Order: sequence, then structure tokens, then C-alpha cells
Amino acid sequence: MAFTNNLLSLLIFPAGLALLASGLIFQWADRKMLARFQNRLGPRWFQPFADVVKLLSKEEIRPKGAGEIVFAALPIIALASTLTAALYVPLFGLAPIFSFPGDLIVTIYLLSVLSLSIGLAGAQTRDRFSIAGSLRVFTQMFAYEAPFILALLTPALALFISGTEGSWEIASLVDVAATKYWFVLIMPITFVVALIGLMGKLELPPFDAPEAETEIVAGALTEYSGRGLALFTLARAVELVVGLTLIAALYLGGVGTGPLAPVLFMIKVIGLLIIVVMLQTLLARIRIDQTVSLWWRIGSILVLLQWVLLIAFRMLR
Amino acid sequence: MTTTQATERFIIPIGPQHPALKEPGHFEFSVEGEIVTNATVRLGYAHRGIEKGTESRNWTQNMYLLERICGICSHIHSTAYAIGVEQLAEVEVPPRAQAIREIVAELERIHSHMLWLGVAAHDAGFDTLFMYTWRDRETVMDILEALSGNRVHYSANVLGGVKFNLTEETAETILKGLEFLEERTHHYRRVVENDAFFLKRTRGVGMMTREDALRLGVVGPTARASGVDRDLRNDAPYIAYNEFPVQLITLTTGDLEARFLVRIDELLDCYRVIKEIIAKLPDGPLTVARMPRKLKAGEVISRVEAPRGELFYYIRSTGGESPDRIKVRTPTLCNMGSVVTQAVGHNLADVPMILVGIDPCFSCNDRAIRIEGSINRRHDHLWSWSDLRQYGIDFYRRQLDYSGEINT
Amino acid sequence: MKIGMFNDLLRSAFRRPVTEQYPVERRPTPEIYRGLLVWTPEGCTGCALCAKDCPAEAIELITIDKAAKRFVFRYHADRCTYCGQCAYSCRFDCIKFQSEEWELAELDPEDFTISYGNPEDIALIPVEAGVEVDAEPITNPT
Repeated sequence: MAFTNNLLSLLIFPAGLALLASGLIFQWADRKMLARFQNRLGPRWFQPFADVVKLLSKEEIRPKGAGEIVFAALPIIALASTLTAALYVPLFGLAPIFSFPGDLIVTIYLLSVLSLSIGLAGAQTRDRFSIAGSLRVFTQMFAYEAPFILALLTPALALFISGTEGSWEIASLVDVAATKYWFVLIMPITFVVALIGLMGKLELPPFDAPEAETEIVAGALTEYSGRGLALFTLARAVELVVGLTLIAALYLGGVGTGPLAPVLFMIKVIGLLIIVVMLQTLLARIRIDQTVSLWWRIGSILVLLQWVLLIAFRMLR
Repeated sequence: MTTTQATERFIIPIGPQHPALKEPGHFEFSVEGEIVTNATVRLGYAHRGIEKGTESRNWTQNMYLLERICGICSHIHSTAYAIGVEQLAEVEVPPRAQAIREIVAELERIHSHMLWLGVAAHDAGFDTLFMYTWRDRETVMDILEALSGNRVHYSANVLGGVKFNLTEETAETILKGLEFLEERTHHYRRVVENDAFFLKRTRGVGMMTREDALRLGVVGPTARASGVDRDLRNDAPYIAYNEFPVQLITLTTGDLEARFLVRIDELLDCYRVIKEIIAKLPDGPLTVARMPRKLKAGEVISRVEAPRGELFYYIRSTGGESPDRIKVRTPTLCNMGSVVTQAVGHNLADVPMILVGIDPCFSCNDRAIRIEGSINRRHDHLWSWSDLRQYGIDFYRRQLDYSGEINT
Repeated sequence: MKIGMFNDLLRSAFRRPVTEQYPVERRPTPEIYRGLLVWTPEGCTGCALCAKDCPAEAIELITIDKAAKRFVFRYHADRCTYCGQCAYSCRFDCIKFQSEEWELAELDPEDFTISYGNPEDIALIPVEAGVEVDAEPITNPT
């Protein structure tokens, strides 16, 4: 019974098909809101689905010189890792499908596998634009990864510092967040760093230097077409959902109890999406070296500042 | 524009097909990491043989052929041709027609600069500014449609005057549209000057000093942003610029931000000039009474200020119904050399911005013919038209002699 | 740190988008708009300045009977650039660009050749081999 339950939740709902569908719906919401902020109409609701279906139906061309197995495997690895990361977060406000102590670290790692695979895909394609793009992907990863990870670990760290029941398990962190208080109130700085770090991870403007369309065509994924590109697109869409869910769960008061809890949680997630879209609309793309200097200077300092404040608070109490 | 032979070069090609280029051109940037170390350019992808085509059409047909060299500076091409031909025919165009020509020319400048603003913002990754400027550009296109009958390729000129009149109604439409545009232009000026992220992409990028600008021979707003005070509308007034002059707008900073600001300030000046002309439009006929179909022999040079810089026409007639030779030199050709010179030392990400900063119009600039010096024995000899034709005939004869390989 | 486009964003979020959904809503064109060309035979003297001045060679003025002023105006809508020179060149106002019809896409290239004039005159024009002709040719021109 538990086996079929697990299988269903893995394949259909809330992970699996439902997650893929919700990823595409989030992508549509992103594009639609971006368009409305730019005073234009925007795509209809089935546009991302249509894009994925179209990509899946096209011929996949592998450039000469790209390793056969690696070329085909990297999109699958990317999608698989993001789908796996979804197992440990409270998707759609329901309890995480699996959880174990330390799954916070595992989820963060799995979320990074997407950027790694995009970078590797660009590097082994041996096309000028792909190599330049993969260089930028890795550079950007070195830039934002440290502040982003630290920002996501800060809630757990705060609990450890304050001496209450701290743990590295997302489910229990979410429970604490739901019952006690919203973490964003005590650590607002790392909330901002986490949200903007998510934009860096997903290569959303203004941090889309790795796939700067007007400079290096499509960056690391220039040579991908057909099925590979469809899988990367789906992986990006799923990562958007998982990332927003994780940040909302940790910082915006987790998932409460009661029948309306999933609905309220989804409202929080969509609120985060609106903020992300507004930042996308307002800001111009910054160069890769400016991204690195921004993150290494301001990002890390902000996180360390927040930690110092937390420790100082604890000492004063 | 020759490449230096280095041992290891990682070359990033931009074009002929590239999302940054709206028209084809081939740039090769040798990069080390992200810094550009060398740049070359190859043009000629949009060469259509227009100058040759003018030799087999009569004077009236040529105006429309030359108007279609470029889509955004179409009226100024046709104006340059028209004033050249009118000078050859020794007719005097009535003042009302000249004033209407100036109105359309300034409206076209508005159209071109708004389009450029959007494209430059898009190349910087600032898609929001792109969408808003192009939304506002629809206003000026609607004005031009109400005035002339088409949104692009207005065909306002005929030899000897203009085709349509400016009625009270149209004048009101223009003034209302300009009011809206002026408010939006002030807003865009504030955005370009103050937006923190956009300034990161434009301030200090593509520095060109006044000496460099004079040495490289740049023209137009690109030169005026570096302190070169040349504007043909003031230096050599044509059509109605004597009665309705424009202000000379220069800045001394010489970087990309200065080029943005110069063009936006030119927009504001265009609004002022158009309002002035509409208020004081002279009365009179729209065309000369009679325009001869065969022109006397002679040659004439006409220079006008296109939105991108100085546009130069050389027209020669030998007394027939068709011209003998028309040579067009467009401003983008002058500015292209500055791109390859400035790009060295910048980041790869700045290169599309530098390219778009000169407001490139590749369809305009493919008039020139460039021959590789290394293959020709007499490469330091000045080529005449007949030399060139003979070269072309020999080239294709040689090509047919060898089966299979093309010998270049 | 100033961000320029913030007000635009807020205002657009609550306003209708400016996109015109073209096939559903069509904006009316101004009267001066150069749509499809229309030729009226009254007034035509056969000077053929329109055909001589057309930059795209889109006009053929075929003379059936010059003294009786019977002409057929064959217009190639696909070659035409809608510049308006012919309307200007004609001193008798025979050519007009009407502004109502401007959606001129056709599936069949034959549909782009429009012959204006009296129907008997049009039937007299030499047609391509293999095509049926109904009217009888004139045997003695008046």
C-alpha cells in the first residue's frame, strides 16, 4: 500500500506529471506577467506546453565532436536531478514525499546539478558560443553559489544558535516555521539574498549573462535542439517551482495546518513569483564580471552580516 | 582592418546570422577569456546592385529605387536624390514643399531614434525599455501614416516637390502625437541617465576621444557625442533648414551613455522644430510647374544629414532620361571602422553595445566595393569604373576556366 | 540606486495591453493610405506616363483603339510598391489608391494581375496559349 502510494506520488501527484505541468504553468505565469508589465498581451496558457511538444517532435541534431553518450545523457540528468530535489520540499503545500535528517543539504546540491549539466553540455559541444556560454555558467555558479547556499542554510543555523530544536531536515524546519514565526522577520537580509540567488541560479534577467541572446546566441545550449532542449526547458521550469517552494517554505512561514493550508502556501509561492517577475522586468542584464563582483562583494557580505546579527542577538538575550 | 597573425586565437563570429544583428554583417572577434584582442569586419551581405540598377531606370523611377536602400532612412535618401536632381535641372522647389519635406525628415529622425533606442536597450538585455520605446514609436508611425499614406517608405517626394499637403487635421494629429512623445522622451532620458543597472552597461564603455573621432572619420550623433561639432543641417543647410534651423547638440564624454543622450536630445529638438514649422508653414504650391524628363549634362553632389550621419550622393547626367552614374556613400560606412578599433580591450559583452552605439544600418552601407589587395597585381593602382568592369569580366572568365575549384 | 522603469511597470499592470489583436480588431486606415490601386477609364488619353514612371513596371497600358480612347490597364499588384508615383503622374486623375482594401495576400499568383477597363476590351488582349477566349477579335478597327 505504501509502495503504490509512494509510486503514485512519485509519478503523478505531487511530483512527476503534476510537477512538470505546474512547472510549465509557472513558466507561463512568468511570461504572462512579464508581458503585462511591458504593456503587451503575452502568451496564452498553453504556450509552454506547445513549446515543449514542438521541441519533442523535432529532430535532434548532434554536432560532430560532441560525445554521443554525454550529449544525450546531460539533459536527462538535469531533469532527473530537479525532479528528485522536489521530493524533499513541501510541494503545493503538502507534506514532503520523503524526508530524512540532512535532506536540506541534499536538496541544495541537487538543485545545483542543473547548472552543472548546462555548463558541461556547453563545454563538450565544442562550439564557440557554447564554450563561451559554459564559461559564463561556471563563472556565475562560482559567484552566487556560496551566498545562496549560506542563505538557505541560515534558518537551520538560526535554530541551532538559539538552542531550540535545530535540524537539517526540511520537514521539521517547515513545522517550526509554521508554528513559531516567519523567518523572514528575523533574517530579512538572507531572504533577499536567497531570492536573488535563485534568480542567478535560474539565469533569469538580470543575471542571464550565460545565455545572453544578443552576445552569444543561446549560450551553453546553442547546439541543443529537439528532445535535449525540451528536457532542459522542463528542468528549468521544475527548478523554478522547487526553488520558489523551498524559499517560501523556509522563510515565509512554511505550511500551516488546517484544510486551507495548501492554498495559502500557494499564494505565498505565487507572491514570490510576482516579485521575481518584477525584478526581471525592471533590471537590465549585467555583464558576467559585474555579476561576479556584485555577488562576491555584496552577496557574501550581506550573508555574513546577517549571521553576525543573529549571533549578536543571541548573545544579548 | 587586417588581422594580426597570432598563434592561438579563439574567434567568436558575430554574424552574418546572429540575434544581435538585425541585418547581416560578419564580425570576427578574437577573445582571450572575455576580453577582445582583435576585431575584423566583413560587409557586403546586403549588396543589391542598386547603383548599377539606377543606370537603367529613368529619373523618376530612380527616386523610388533609392528610397528603398534603407527602411528607416528612406525619406532622406529620396530627399538627397531629389535635391541633387533639382539642382541639375535648375528648378526651384516652392517653400511649402521644402517645409513639408523638412517635417517628414524630422519625423523620420524621430522614428529612427526611437527604433534605435529600443534596439540598443534590447542588446543590453533591457527588454522592458525596448518594449516601451517601440510602443511609443507606433505613435510616430501613425502620424506618418496620417500624413503621407504609409508607415515606412513614405514616398513623400516627387521630383520638384512633395506629393501631399499638410491639412489642418493632419497638423492637429501631429501636434497631439508629439505632445505624447515629448513626455515619454523626457521619461526615457531620465531612465537612460539614472537607471543604475543600465548605466553599468553604458557608462565608460566605448570611449572615443575627439581626436580619435576625427581620425577615424565618424559622422553623425556618434561623432557629436565625442565633441565633434558637425551637423550638416547647420553647416550646409538644405531644404528648409535655413528658415527653420535645428540646434547643434554635442557632448564631450564620448562614451556610450553620451551617444544615448545625444540622440535623445536630438529627439527633443525634433519636436521643437516640427512644432515651429507647423506654426509657420508657408503657403504656396506643392511642386514646380514643370519638371523636365531629360536633364542637362552635368554632375552634382548633394549632402544631407541622415539620422545616422552625413549622407552623400554624387549624381552625373549625360543628358538622357537615365542617370549616368549615381554614387551613394552612407554614414554607417564611416562609422564602421570605429567599431573594430574601439572593440579591442573591451569585454565580449560590451561588443554588441558598441556596435549598436553607432546605429548600424547594414542595408545602407553595402554600396562600397572592396577588393582583396593580395590577389591583384595592380592593387595600388586607382581603380576606374572600366577597370572594375574588366576585373569582373576576367574574374568570371577565370572561374569558368577551372573546373571544380574557385580560384580567389 | 535608482531604477527607471518602475512607474511604467505599475501603471501597465493595471491597464489594458496595447496589443491590437489583428484579425479580430482592425484599425481604420486614414484616407490618404495607399491600398489597392484603382483605375477609371474616363479621362485616360493613353499617354502612358504612369507606365513609364512606375519604378516596379507594375503597369501595362494596352492600347486597343487610341482614337476611340479604348485602353486596358493591366496592373500587377504583386510588383507594385504602392509608392503613388502613377497617381501623381496621371494628369487626368484616372488612378487612385483607395484606402479600404489593403489586405492583398492571395494564394494564386494569377490573382495578382488585375485588368481594368471595359470587359470586351479586356477579352481582346492576347492571352497565354491554351487559355480560352470568349469574345471575337475586331476585324476592322474604326
